[in-house]
Amino acid sequence: MSPRPVAVVGAAAVSAAGLCWRGLASRTIEPARSRELEASHPGTLAFEVPPIPPAADAGDARARKAMSRPARLAAIAAREALADAGFRGGAEATGYFLGVGASGGPVSEMLAMLLGSLDAQGEVSPARLGAEGLAASNPLFTFHVLNNFTLCHGAILSGIQGPNAALFSRGGGTVTALREAAFAVGEGDCDRALAGGADTALHPVTWSELCRDGFAAGGLVPGEGAALLALERIGGGGSPLAYLERASVLAGRRHSLEEVLEAAVASEPDRPVDHLILAPWGEAARAALHRFARRALPGAPILDVTRRLGESLAATPALAWVSALDLLTAGSSARALVLSAGIDGDLGLVTLAREPHR
Amino acid sequence: MSPRRVFVRGAGARTALGRTWPESVAALAAGASAVGPIEGFDARGFPCAVAAPVPGATEGATEGDRRLAFALPAAREAWAAAGLTVPPGRLGVFVGAESGRVTFATLVALARAAGGGDTFDHASFLREGPALAAHLAPARLSPASVTSALAAALGARGPVATVSLACASGAAAIAEAARAVRLGECDVALAGGVGADVDALLLAAFGLLGALSARGVSCPFDARRDGFVLGEGAAMVVLSSERGAAIAEIAGTGGSLDAHHLTAPHPGGEGAVRAMTAALRAGGAFTLGGAPSPPVDYVQAHGTSTVANDAVEAAALRRVLGADLERARVSSVKGALGHAIAGAGALGFLCALEAVEHGLVLPTAGLREPDRGCELPHVLGSAETRVVRGALVNAFAFGGANVSLFLRRAA
Repeated sequence: MSPRPVAVVGAAAVSAAGLCWRGLASRTIEPARSRELEASHPGTLAFEVPPIPPAADAGDARARKAMSRPARLAAIAAREALADAGFRGGAEATGYFLGVGASGGPVSEMLAMLLGSLDAQGEVSPARLGAEGLAASNPLFTFHVLNNFTLCHGAILSGIQGPNAALFSRGGGTVTALREAAFAVGEGDCDRALAGGADTALHPVTWSELCRDGFAAGGLVPGEGAALLALERIGGGGSPLAYLERASVLAGRRHSLEEVLEAAVASEPDRPVDHLILAPWGEAARAALHRFARRALPGAPILDVTRRLGESLAATPALAWVSALDLLTAGSSARALVLSAGIDGDLGLVTLAREPHR
Repeated sequence: MSPRRVFVRGAGARTALGRTWPESVAALAAGASAVGPIEGFDARGFPCAVAAPVPGATEGATEGDRRLAFALPAAREAWAAAGLTVPPGRLGVFVGAESGRVTFATLVALARAAGGGDTFDHASFLREGPALAAHLAPARLSPASVTSALAAALGARGPVATVSLACASGAAAIAEAARAVRLGECDVALAGGVGADVDALLLAAFGLLGALSARGVSCPFDARRDGFVLGEGAAMVVLSSERGAAIAEIAGTGGSLDAHHLTAPHPGGEGAVRAMTAALRAGGAFTLGGAPSPPVDYVQAHGTSTVANDAVEAAALRRVLGADLERARVSSVKGALGHAIAGAGALGFLCALEAVEHGLVLPTAGLREPDRGCELPHVLGSAETRVVRGALVNAFAFGGANVSLFLRRAA
């Protein structure tokens, strides 16, 4: 069962293109040497969010000390999405559903604790961890590493009080977040909701893992970002930019991506799609999605968001939806299908249309 | 398709007091507590040196992932109790879980890779990076790997979701599963939560927050309370749209955000009130301070044993249920099992299920001197037996995310 169609009344995106969602689909951005990875992985090309002007940043300096990078980007996106949608007041009736990754804390702070915990032989000693290790630690470190804080910082700063979920995501979880939000709005649990994802592939440990697993050698370019759609019931009083017709996740664990795509096509309503937005994780998924696109929708324009904005893990599907919204509002598309394939093997399908289906 | 009812067909748990849920219930009913000095590692220097670990579950179990060492047996127990046959595509899995842990050996590698000195040596980290990464097993770190493992164990191919909402994860996962069954996304769902956090790293993390009991006592709502005690375990339920022999059904779920503070609850309990009210409203006509239908005869409170949380929750309960609260009973399983973080809400749900199904209202272990600021109809000492028509379960997370579940006897 799909959620009832809901209206998309606003959006926000923080990406290598900056703090904007309009024009995101047409901007051409080149990866650049990563500031974040320069020390540990010098020369790595990445799609990094440009320096954020103080006026546009999340909270004040004190609040930001407690934020992981994804939490900071999510908090900015939440504020911008609320403003873009014109959501004022009604905080209790505003839901917030976010795909999140494992929020790695700053390596330097993690190591301060660990280095304070080494015994004379250079081994980590639990007893020293509980004493000297804690004494050397930043008390705010814990806030960086709890996954749900990627959602909670933004909720606190923007005063969002409604139904919510932080879904762990390596692709599929972010689409599930959108699906949950659409259900919550469609079923009346809340009047409106923000849904999306926030994450970074630029944490030194995360990038080390991706290198180890062969993604870097396979051409994956790391990125970071946060993106949100603002949803409202159709007829809820806002000015719809588009309509969310479908948000579903097909489990790919026991099937090839091609099989999952076939199932997706079979379950797609018989209405024309004029644009395909692809968000593949890695080259194998990219090849499969492009093969499918050429065969199923020959001639339809394809926008490969991961290629344009890098791999931002839990944020990538949401950046793809917002790119689709940009195409719809710019008049370049009437109905766009967003296919995202995460490292978890799950396939996300999201359909956005300029006009409501009657 | 009109929304369907959601029945609870089976339950299972691995706790510090039992290898199965009935074994745990027997110990909990007698007022037992698993809270004791930490023996797995030298915890003398930590702000809190007690916990409620699951005995016998070591890092060597289940491919080194203690989360699976708890979650898999709990899931199998719940599944066996349900005794259902369902097409794989109609079976969903919804789990509340947080990240797993690297071993101390990896921590040593981390420290050494960074130079092992007073400052972070990036050049050294670069040289040692590949070796470091080799120690980071994705399956042990990812919250989603628990969900994947349970789906594989049951052969489930329906919807899956991993909720990482800290202390509310397990309850939120049950709420997501109930929605999926109610709206027809799947016919049957395995849902629950797991926490495996009695280790030096989490003890350090929560010690940094100042949230742990310095006195080493888990005594929710007690005048002596001064913080929570870490616990661990897993609780799973099987939900179905088919009633079968089920006694209990999920009547409503509610969620809210405090939007107030990273660790402290809203002093007025506004978020907690909204979550409880939403769950009761979803179960039927309800106004704040009025009488829900069916009546709430039992509340499994979040009750962590922290000074602020317990007082705020007690006041919020009074606002939501009004005078009806006096006819109910309130307890928190954290007095006996500590705080199992991502598993806590699911363990609480099983306590409420026990009350609805068997009329067994479990006590709050450790509660001896009820705080006047937490005046509630507590269950002291050992379990009480009474008819429970409706039960409310609360789970409130760091960061201000609140989840409430409303369970009732199926008419």
